[in-house]
Amino acid sequence: MAATESAGDGLSTPAGRILAAALALPLAVPVLAQGVPDRATLSLRVLDYQDRQPGADRVRVKAPALALAMPLAGPWSLGASVVSDAISGASPAYHTRGLSRLSDERNAADVTLTRAFDDATLSVGAAGSHESDYDSAALSLQGTWSSDDRNTTWAGGLAASRDRVNPVTAVVQGARKRVLDVHLGLTRVLSATSVWQVNLGLNRARGYLSDPYKVFDVRPSQRDALRLLVRGNHHLRDGGQTVRWSWRMYRDDWKVRAHTLGLEFVQPIAAQWSVTPALRLHSQDRARFYVEVDPEAAPFVTQPPPGAAYSSLDQRLSAFGAVTAGIKLTWQPDPEWTLDVKFERYAQRGRWHWRGEGSTGLAAFDARTWQFGVARRF
Amino acid sequence: MSGAIIAMPNSRHFVAIAASLCAALLAGCAGAVVQPWEKGLLARPDMAFEPDRLETGLAEHVYASKEAAQGGAGAGASGCGCN
Repeated sequence: MAATESAGDGLSTPAGRILAAALALPLAVPVLAQGVPDRATLSLRVLDYQDRQPGADRVRVKAPALALAMPLAGPWSLGASVVSDAISGASPAYHTRGLSRLSDERNAADVTLTRAFDDATLSVGAAGSHESDYDSAALSLQGTWSSDDRNTTWAGGLAASRDRVNPVTAVVQGARKRVLDVHLGLTRVLSATSVWQVNLGLNRARGYLSDPYKVFDVRPSQRDALRLLVRGNHHLRDGGQTVRWSWRMYRDDWKVRAHTLGLEFVQPIAAQWSVTPALRLHSQDRARFYVEVDPEAAPFVTQPPPGAAYSSLDQRLSAFGAVTAGIKLTWQPDPEWTLDVKFERYAQRGRWHWRGEGSTGLAAFDARTWQFGVARRF
Repeated sequence: MSGAIIAMPNSRHFVAIAASLCAALLAGCAGAVVQPWEKGLLARPDMAFEPDRLETGLAEHVYASKEAAQGGAGAGASGCGCN
């Protein structure tokens, strides 16, 4: 879709829009500017992540990633990516205390082969990752089907993964985890400038789901989750801006309930430049076996209730609210090249829980993320 | 796989919301057929739901390691032992 990639852009004229639509027509891309590519794209992205709590830096991740999307012969296309995470720093053993050093490297790769039909696509994929104490392998099958007028697209997918956990603490050895994920989606063109999407996902995890590096962490060996993601994109003709919003509802049988709202605003600022401020709001309830901080136990670890079958003092299973604010600057010097830089700040607090029922006694948690990206089309 | 999940408290409400949204999208906009030559703006890269696959993947990975809720529109990524 070379004609549609120039942000600067001939699309603001009627002739430009007709040309873009004409060039988009031969593709089996019904309502999205994605799917089967007509040209190859090679993307490089580097992430630099650092989180912290008052008085201590915690985890740092540096992750270069490479992705390729390319058409193959006839109706076939290929997508693939590799990423290498260098992880270092410190992680709490319970709540936000007992920081212990960690260092690891995670290498992951995935490949997807897609076959396009007149009104449908079918994709098969494989993914895998390796860490010193964790291995994962996944297979997926996904398909889409579009209406004759290309204004409605149904999507469905199935993925299964098998993981193996070998912590250096030897709390368990060769523990297994299996995950099955099913999703259904509907994408609908509402107008020449608006498109909405509804996704329903079911996730079923079985096996070793505890965190072997945290004390008193004994979680159920099964977790069933439902998620509903509704999102929409709207283009404003007059100013050339694009608004992207999303709302995700999540719940599982650990009694974690969460809502996540996202908003992005793509604002062209010059012929080849755009800036995208973004805001994300998240709030979640505590897992039913999360053990709240007992102020009277400090500075020692809070004990789980006597006789409790399950317990976790993991901050991630507490009740909190979180805010992410970010900004992305994109430069497209010509239709073949795109460069961007993105900065985000993330903050997580118990008192920001949406109903005011957040967990107490945890240190404030903050993070910052830089991303640098470059993409070249061939 | 539906047995345990459908037995989850209030999960039927959850599915009902999704079905209602889909029905509203399909029925409410049935008369608003957008013709192929009107889809130029929809084909813009910034109108894609995931304009950059790597950017989306890295962001989801970070959030999955810091929050209890996980997952988005798709499936198929490998797991991690994020701690």
